[in-house]
Amino acid sequence: MTTSDNDRISYLSGEAVDSLTPQERADLDELRTLLETPATWEEPDASLEDRIVSAIAEESRRERAAESAPPASDTPKTRRRFGLIWPPRRPALAFGGLATVAAAIIVAIVIATSSSSPAPLRFAMVVNGTPLAPGAHGSATLTKMSSGWEIQLSATGLPHLANGRYYQAWLKNPAGILVPVGTFNDAEHVILWSGAPVTQFRSFSVTVQQANGNPASSGRRVLVGIAHPVR
Amino acid sequence: MQERDLRARFRQGDPDAVREVYGSHGRLVYAVAYKVLGDRSLAEEATQQTFLKAWRAAQSFEAQRELGPWLAAIARRVAIDLYRREAVRGTDPIESVAPAHPALISSPDSAEAIYDVWEVREAVAQLPPEEQEVIRLQHLEGFTHAQIAERLGIAAGTVKSRSFRAHKRLAAMLGHLRE
Repeated sequence: MTTSDNDRISYLSGEAVDSLTPQERADLDELRTLLETPATWEEPDASLEDRIVSAIAEESRRERAAESAPPASDTPKTRRRFGLIWPPRRPALAFGGLATVAAAIIVAIVIATSSSSPAPLRFAMVVNGTPLAPGAHGSATLTKMSSGWEIQLSATGLPHLANGRYYQAWLKNPAGILVPVGTFNDAEHVILWSGAPVTQFRSFSVTVQQANGNPASSGRRVLVGIAHPVR
Repeated sequence: MQERDLRARFRQGDPDAVREVYGSHGRLVYAVAYKVLGDRSLAEEATQQTFLKAWRAAQSFEAQRELGPWLAAIARRVAIDLYRREAVRGTDPIESVAPAHPALISSPDSAEAIYDVWEVREAVAQLPPEEQEVIRLQHLEGFTHAQIAERLGIAAGTVKSRSFRAHKRLAAMLGHLRE
């Protein structure tokens, strides 16, 4: 190593070094800036790995289920009724039938468009247990209704709570504001409601609470998940 | 061959393979996302979306490419999409938004700036834990050698020598030495 390298390392270590050129100094300052960047040091939550594994397993399962499902409509070449094979229709009658079907479709489209309401806004998520409940997992759908957001949660691996202990579900926005969305004793099939928009409050968690008059979160999170829009 | 096998298992949704890819690249993907978004929960969301997108695209991934830069490119795109989504949301009054909120930053980092963070983070991860800690306290927390010594309960001379060794390793790994 040359003397100059020693000087460069000393400068990086924070010592005052006069022998460096402005260019060398600028190169090393760039590295120092990167070492000061929080992104170089920030660590993800320990539960993120489990959340990713569950999300991929869930999507993989859905993909396999879709592949193995039979086609939605299967038009037979000859139509059977009561075990008899019907003869093919004559072209004129067949055309008449087609025209009837086409008219029915047009009527249906007109009705649908005249009374059309937008598809419900829906989010979904996979929820995973935290280190406090490593065996817990499940999923939830979050649907915008006229009275608020309906959250249907289904999770396993959490014990039934009683005797003043209960679960409380929360939604959080990126600024860290928590909104309570309901309490329950058993997480297998729960319907929760949120008045805060899931479009903004997408971080979901469930904590274990004690009925002791303190409505704040206990911080003892047992389930977490992040809601994603469903197209 | 091993990485190809890993990718095949990753594509099948094999939980062990997903954990293996996350173990080797998860923190780096998160660092890329965090650099763009500057927010923990959004960076986690971007990391999850990156792995899902990578899983969906794993079959089209070219065998000769390295997994790391491919994931970094996906992470950057995902994070920029999230950044734009956050920027257009705009429902909070401006005075209630934190100064570091993505919506208040004019534009996301360039690809070069993101890859620089990726490289530095990878280099830091290769340091022994005691050297990583000295570097973190010195650069991220802004502590002096004396303050680090007090914090870690070790001699100031030890901090100085650890700091020198760590910076020497980093400079060598990142091409800041002449030889």
